[in-house]
Amino acid sequence: MMEVDVAVIGSGPAGLTAAIHAHNSGARKVLLLEREEELGGILKQCIHNGFGLEQFKQDYTGPEYAERLIKESEQAGVQCFLNTLVTDLSSDRVIAALSPEHGALEIKARSIVLAMGCRERTRPSIGIPGTRPAGIFTAGVAQRFVNMDGYLPGKKVVILGSGDIGLIMARRLTLEGAKVIGVYEIMNYPGGLKRNVVQCLNDFDIPLYLSHTVTEIKGKERVEGVVVSKVDGDLHPVPGSEQSIECDTLLLSVGLIPENELSKKAGIELNTATRGPVTTETMETSVPGIFTCGNVSTVFDLVDYVAQTGAAAGAFAARYASGQVSGSRQSMDVVAGENVRLLFPQRYSFQDDLVLFVRAAEPVEKPVTIEVTPPGSRINRLYARPNEMLRVKVPKEKLAEVKQPIRVSIREK
Amino acid sequence: MAVEKRHFVCVVCPIGCEIDVVHDGSKIISMEGNKCEKSLEFVSQELIEPMRILTTTVRIEGARWPVIPVRTDKAVPKRLFPRIMKQLRSVELQAPVDILDVVVTDVLHTGANIIATRSMPRS
Repeated sequence: MMEVDVAVIGSGPAGLTAAIHAHNSGARKVLLLEREEELGGILKQCIHNGFGLEQFKQDYTGPEYAERLIKESEQAGVQCFLNTLVTDLSSDRVIAALSPEHGALEIKARSIVLAMGCRERTRPSIGIPGTRPAGIFTAGVAQRFVNMDGYLPGKKVVILGSGDIGLIMARRLTLEGAKVIGVYEIMNYPGGLKRNVVQCLNDFDIPLYLSHTVTEIKGKERVEGVVVSKVDGDLHPVPGSEQSIECDTLLLSVGLIPENELSKKAGIELNTATRGPVTTETMETSVPGIFTCGNVSTVFDLVDYVAQTGAAAGAFAARYASGQVSGSRQSMDVVAGENVRLLFPQRYSFQDDLVLFVRAAEPVEKPVTIEVTPPGSRINRLYARPNEMLRVKVPKEKLAEVKQPIRVSIREK
Repeated sequence: MAVEKRHFVCVVCPIGCEIDVVHDGSKIISMEGNKCEKSLEFVSQELIEPMRILTTTVRIEGARWPVIPVRTDKAVPKRLFPRIMKQLRSVELQAPVDILDVVVTDVLHTGANIIATRSMPRS
């Protein structure tokens, strides 16, 4: 059996950053496991700019950001297994993996970092009635077709859902000569970042229809059209509001789900709101020595946030691998209060500052206070939007005396 | 030009201020809705000539992938996007290509180069 200090599963921005930081924090043998033939994860197909503004003070495209991290990981001497699919993970930190080059692998790791990312929700997960023709893609699959495989998936496109990838693809397909008829969003606010709505839709005169959804797909072999309907306050289609639209392609940008099949195999406790592992501020899961970062933990909006969790996971995984961790450790729950849909991390183990990522349940377009009690920290922000995670930091010193669950609320000021 | 009203969403930072601007075609007469002064520069530029970075792909021969991502190395007038896209359709690179290699020099006399945004070895 192969033995390593830190094994990292997945080489997107989270995994690469974790591997680099594990090495920089003293781990000697860091192994990065990637199921694809190249490192970089989803960054490879995100050819638009806007990456690394916070972390590197640079406006990189996804591939540039990835290449910078890949070079850093090479310089650090991180070992990589490509084309390597992890098939099993145990709570005593043994990884089973398959690869054409290395065959069936068993790897014993002193600590593990989970960085498997997330998957897109598909048509069955939202249940659109109608036929089952070709021409229905998730936005990320279409992105890969266009940006890596060099195909245009269709010429007349309707986009359901206004997640960031859908918005980015509306612009991309328009540039490549397709007609994007419109983006239809069931909620009464956009799913993606405001700047993406402006730069991807408004810039190209692509209409965004809020409180609308697709209620039927038409076509036998290929998509021939869709029916869109307005929805009421309970998100139910309004009878009589149906409108037929002719199109050959439907893109779905209807949310992402952390990919935790391996976490479940290791018996890691998952949080129902984030659908990722229950995590401490050191990125440790409920299984000692297994850490998590990036979109497998909770779906983040910005790569900078993903990298931040990767850096913490790598550093604490290295520390665990070196044996510098006390045996019994107390920890406290961090729970969602008023107007909080989800938060990350969900436990506090008194080892580091508490950097909280909080997603609001309802939009508040006026100044808000994020209250963290105990210790009673109040942090002000200009607004709270469900599509833009709030990040707040409570210093370790303030939390030393905490004896009850930490509640996080978003209130109007 | 006559005085006009226009609505902008500022994208300088994530707040995305909704700004109402009264202008005469090139100069701002008044604006409201912006929370800081940075919007002024953004809106002024938007009135004269909206500038954006263009990111896209071009064909490549001899590599693992049939296309390689590229971008302009600085912002170019948004109105030129269709013409730049058209020009790039006739470009085909040969692998290997290194990240930041110049693919097209001074595209459409904008002063901007088209550069590769990843390296791609020969396969």
